[in-house]
Amino acid sequence: MQEDKIIEVKKIKKICRDKTILDIEEFAVLKNKFNFIIGGNGSGKTSLLNILSLIDQNYKGELFYEGQSINKDEQNLKLRRKFSVIWQDPYLYRGNVFYNIALPLKLRGVDQNSINKKVRAVAARLEIENFLEQSAHTLSGGEKQKTSIARALITEPEILFVDEATTNLDEESIQFFNSHFADLVTDEMTVVMVSHDSRQIKELADQITLLKGGKVEITKTINNFNFELFGAGIEAPIAEIV
Amino acid sequence: MDYYSDAILRALQLIISLDPEVIQVVTTSLKISISSTFIASIISMPLAVLIARNKFKTKKFINIILNTMLSLPTVVVGIFVYSLISRRGVLGELDLLFTPIGIIIGQVILIIPLITALIRNVIFSMDEKLYKTATSMGASRRQKFKLLILEARYGIIGAVIAGFGRVLGEIGVSMMLGGNIKGVTRTITTAMSLETNKGRFAFALALGIILLSLSFLINFVTYFLQEGKNYARR
Repeated sequence: MQEDKIIEVKKIKKICRDKTILDIEEFAVLKNKFNFIIGGNGSGKTSLLNILSLIDQNYKGELFYEGQSINKDEQNLKLRRKFSVIWQDPYLYRGNVFYNIALPLKLRGVDQNSINKKVRAVAARLEIENFLEQSAHTLSGGEKQKTSIARALITEPEILFVDEATTNLDEESIQFFNSHFADLVTDEMTVVMVSHDSRQIKELADQITLLKGGKVEITKTINNFNFELFGAGIEAPIAEIV
Repeated sequence: MDYYSDAILRALQLIISLDPEVIQVVTTSLKISISSTFIASIISMPLAVLIARNKFKTKKFINIILNTMLSLPTVVVGIFVYSLISRRGVLGELDLLFTPIGIIIGQVILIIPLITALIRNVIFSMDEKLYKTATSMGASRRQKFKLLILEARYGIIGAVIAGFGRVLGEIGVSMMLGGNIKGVTRTITTAMSLETNKGRFAFALALGIILLSLSFLINFVTYFLQEGKNYARR
């Protein structure tokens, strides 16, 4: 069955200080699916995620959103506002947790009443409703990441980009993330996830793309989840999937 | 010794009794300094962001010029602006020489490099993730600028206060472009110079004490703002 593609990449090349970081002929993000990007250090995962999420527009090649070519415009505001990103090491702004979660809505000019309701609702889902008045700079790593997840989800993005969100977290926070993440994401949401966590890949992945040296080594759509993942390496699980 | 103690006593009397002449000089000085600091800050903020956040060919050159201008002598700025606003200057027709606006123009030129360089350093030291996060949250260019200024607010206020301190204590620009006209362009520093020459030592000393107190207040506020910044970071 032909899957819907929400973002397509054609002949993308990213060069940084004479070094080719990314060189991808073709790649697509499947709509309303969990798209995993995996690969070793320096394979170009985060660079690809930055390009897909329009954070980085300094590249050669073409990007398509629902079949339409995306202009390389620094603003690209309308499209950017359909996306959200959860970073590995989130940046929280000066102010309390409430302010940080509310920021994307404030930037979109949403009225204060709606902001209050939405912030409290998303904070409750992430179990951080008791921290809302607390200064963001006093939070633990796990609480910071929960705040950043709430901030990313509050706009109900069409595409949610997740860049190794659990890498710096303790085991308890990782478990919370793994057990709650699928529920936090709606069926209408497309997720692009850079991850090393075999549990996440095993439980969530609809498509897995392995990057190697900035190139797409293999992309595989998963229809059968009865595969064993070997925790240690990246190539072992992908070999298993293939 | 009596000479000094007597002068200090009379100076304190002038301050405590809110001597109208002292008050007039201080308010003139504050009005001019606040105006020039405000205008210079408005110009310096986007300039600093532009220099700190963008890559362009002349960036190194501009940074060198900016750093050189940090130690710009006030009399050099005075001569430069004098040549522009004196009767034969290109802006001579505007009659700005020996007016508060004349001094403000000079002071703005004097402190733009200082405020710009300080804010540039603050912006430059900000975490790169701040910009990426703002972009990912859907901030427009203007909103990103606003977020950046908000995040750097303690450092920016520190830079603005440093600029204010510089203009409040300068004499070259005020003397050359203001002309020391009583009630119009007579500032604390020009009045101190004049009154000392006239032998009114106590009056000059009273102004000196006020200037020193203002400097102390400026440093006090800056210190607590820095403390606030550290507190927020904790």
